[in-house]
Amino acid sequence: MRSLRLIPLGLWALLLLLGASVQAGEAKGSDTKGKFFFKKSCKACHMDGGSAKALTPLSKTQAQWRKFFDAGKHKGEALSPKLGTPAQLLDIKTFLINHASDSPQPETCGG
Amino acid sequence: MERRTFIELLGAGTLLVPPLACKLRGPIAAGPTNLNGIPTTCELCPNKCSLLAVVKEGRLAKLNPNPENPKSRAMLCARGNAAIQQVYDPDRLKQPLIRAGERGEGKWRPVSWDEAFDFAANKLKAVKEKHGPEGSLWSSTEGFQEVFFKNLGQAFGSPNVMRHPTLCLASMTLAYSTTFGTVPSFDLLNADYVIMAGANRFESIITPDTMDLIGGTMERKAKLIYLDPRFTVTASKADEWHPIKPGTDLAFILAMLNVILTEERHDKAFVETYTLGFEQLLEHVKPYTPAWAEKETEIPAADITRIARAFADAAPRAVFYAGRRSSWYTNDFQMRRAQAILNAVVGNWDREGGMVPNRKVAKGEFTFMPWDDPKASRVDEVEKAFPLANAKDGVYLPLRENVLKGTPYPVKAWMIYKQDPMHALPDQGKTLEMIQQMDFVGVVDIAMSDTAWYADVVFPESHYLERTDPIEVMPGIWPAAVYRQQAVKPLHDTKPMLDIAQGLAKRLGLSDYFDYTIEQWVEAEAKELPVPNGMEHMRKHGVVGFEKPKYGTTRNAVHRFVTKSGKIELFSERLQEAGHDPLPVYTAPAQPPANKFRLILGRKATITHAALTNLPWLHEHNRENDLWIHPEPAARLNIQTGDLLEVSSTAGTVKIKARVTPEIRPDCVFMLHGFGKKSAWLRRVHNVGAADSILLETAWDKVSGNAALHETFVKVGKA
Repeated sequence: MRSLRLIPLGLWALLLLLGASVQAGEAKGSDTKGKFFFKKSCKACHMDGGSAKALTPLSKTQAQWRKFFDAGKHKGEALSPKLGTPAQLLDIKTFLINHASDSPQPETCGG
Repeated sequence: MERRTFIELLGAGTLLVPPLACKLRGPIAAGPTNLNGIPTTCELCPNKCSLLAVVKEGRLAKLNPNPENPKSRAMLCARGNAAIQQVYDPDRLKQPLIRAGERGEGKWRPVSWDEAFDFAANKLKAVKEKHGPEGSLWSSTEGFQEVFFKNLGQAFGSPNVMRHPTLCLASMTLAYSTTFGTVPSFDLLNADYVIMAGANRFESIITPDTMDLIGGTMERKAKLIYLDPRFTVTASKADEWHPIKPGTDLAFILAMLNVILTEERHDKAFVETYTLGFEQLLEHVKPYTPAWAEKETEIPAADITRIARAFADAAPRAVFYAGRRSSWYTNDFQMRRAQAILNAVVGNWDREGGMVPNRKVAKGEFTFMPWDDPKASRVDEVEKAFPLANAKDGVYLPLRENVLKGTPYPVKAWMIYKQDPMHALPDQGKTLEMIQQMDFVGVVDIAMSDTAWYADVVFPESHYLERTDPIEVMPGIWPAAVYRQQAVKPLHDTKPMLDIAQGLAKRLGLSDYFDYTIEQWVEAEAKELPVPNGMEHMRKHGVVGFEKPKYGTTRNAVHRFVTKSGKIELFSERLQEAGHDPLPVYTAPAQPPANKFRLILGRKATITHAALTNLPWLHEHNRENDLWIHPEPAARLNIQTGDLLEVSSTAGTVKIKARVTPEIRPDCVFMLHGFGKKSAWLRRVHNVGAADSILLETAWDKVSGNAALHETFVKVGKA
């Protein structure tokens, strides 16, 4: 886990200011890899026409995603190892929280 | 003509908007006719219209519109048609080149692809060794193969992957996203009352908006109110043209809000159910009366009041159109926010004839294990200075300032794809300075742009008609997924961007991220298209689109808008937290001194991008740009049409011919973009006319970081 003391003071202020993608005390994974693991582990079922309800980061608020990962359960089973290693799940959590429906970066400009 | 009659005519198959003639529901599953030509997708501008390339004996004979695309319909514009000449243009880049003289001297050594790749990879590795991967900048404009260029920059480890939106529409997209959580489309086909401010939609074509505006105003007699310091083609077709004082659009909108809210003409039920912050908004707009706005805008208060009432009365079939290129003033974000709020309070959200959240066509994705996140922060410091802006796109002008200063760290390599920063960015002198301080500059393009002219290595990309690209989704009221497939073999020794990325990746030790073919990439995307046999469908038709609009899907009690509160945010807490005005506050723009003019810009149908001025068919319509100046100041300065002028700003000086015309306000001058090229390989426009980018000063919108291109005052006199 990344040491919290390594995060500069200015960055803490910014994150708190924005209602922030990462909360105090919350470990941070890789946004880029989280997107990949989310597609690999979750979207296989959670897609339009899939076996479960379609999901994107926008499907929940940051608090709702946090609650889901804090509970650590998927259909009554532990998230890990079924949906990935703890490191991979941290990446997925980071990606989903960073782009949740109430996050500061929910949508890009596109073309 | 009555709306019902018009719709019936459409249903009967008028030539005006053929796709609507189809009776299919949901995805368009098959073409209505035999498609004569190879279905592919235009690349001459951001619209990405579908077309059919007619090929005879291996050569392109004609480009026809592909009527199966519900967005571009049976239309291919002059720009699109001119693409054939791009393929066969003798000015094209024909093989890789390495600079043989000084930068900008025009001396080049033709080399093999291997030599070009080795040269560039060695330069990039040297910069990485000395400055880290963050010492490299990867900038590009939109395009279907942009993804491979961006991926190469990210895999290289650079945080400085720089996209184009802050030279284009970033202030608009951020303003509407902040308010609605998304950027909607405007249903001009069905609107009864349209206000456009500076969006010259009859000339600067956007599909389907331009066709819908023609249908709406010319056939259905919808009302078009147009604000612009210039009398454009759109002004000539509008019901009312108001030559608004530049930079005061926000005052006009706030006064409209004042009338609508104080007279309680807003949609009360909608505001109550879906929005947040109405009470603060009501108090906020009270000082912004039409009488006050008249002094700012020079539009009579009576007209503002009348327009506000008519707009509210016509709602929900009334829209204040957002525009597209929104890089105008330093308050651009707040002006677009006010537009969004005005649209919200009349309840046109997600209604026929109003603003409609974009739908998308589902497609698959080629996935692979990505690279590690970059260790360094971005050189433009976007997260610190523009915390609400799109961090992945970056902010271009602040980036240039930081690179020139060498802070927070040096950037010494610049890779550029499909972009000409020498013309796309204001203040060409600064861009040139930025190029000159680089250890290495590499450009991928199809022609020798002015930026390529100053590069160290130039990689010639295959023309879009010579290559196959990823499938792209074009969101909208009539969304489409479009496919670009090769129509003819490459004429010269050129490669698609994917192949160029693979060539460099191999030498940079990054091949794991590019270990696939374009066919594998596209097949993965086609698998999830909403049609059977997606790949086969795309090869035959080139497009999957939804023909039937859907209205009202977000107008229900359970819908959560993608905002912090989950509501449409008239008042924005997030803006307030970031230190910005939570409601749009008007500040009067600086005015030009008595001996100067505000330089304003605009586009026309045959010129949108600087890259297009050298194309013969388009050049015939625009042989040289000139400076529009009103007869009153022209008489004062003894200027007549055709006189050679010297025009100067604090950024630079150009010489350009005069066009004396009453079709512009006396306090402004106007010129077209994309002339005065330094590159001698763009023979039709080399040293012809003048480059606006030489004159434009560096300024940006405070919230989005979008370039502010109408903030420059120029001195004008005879040369």
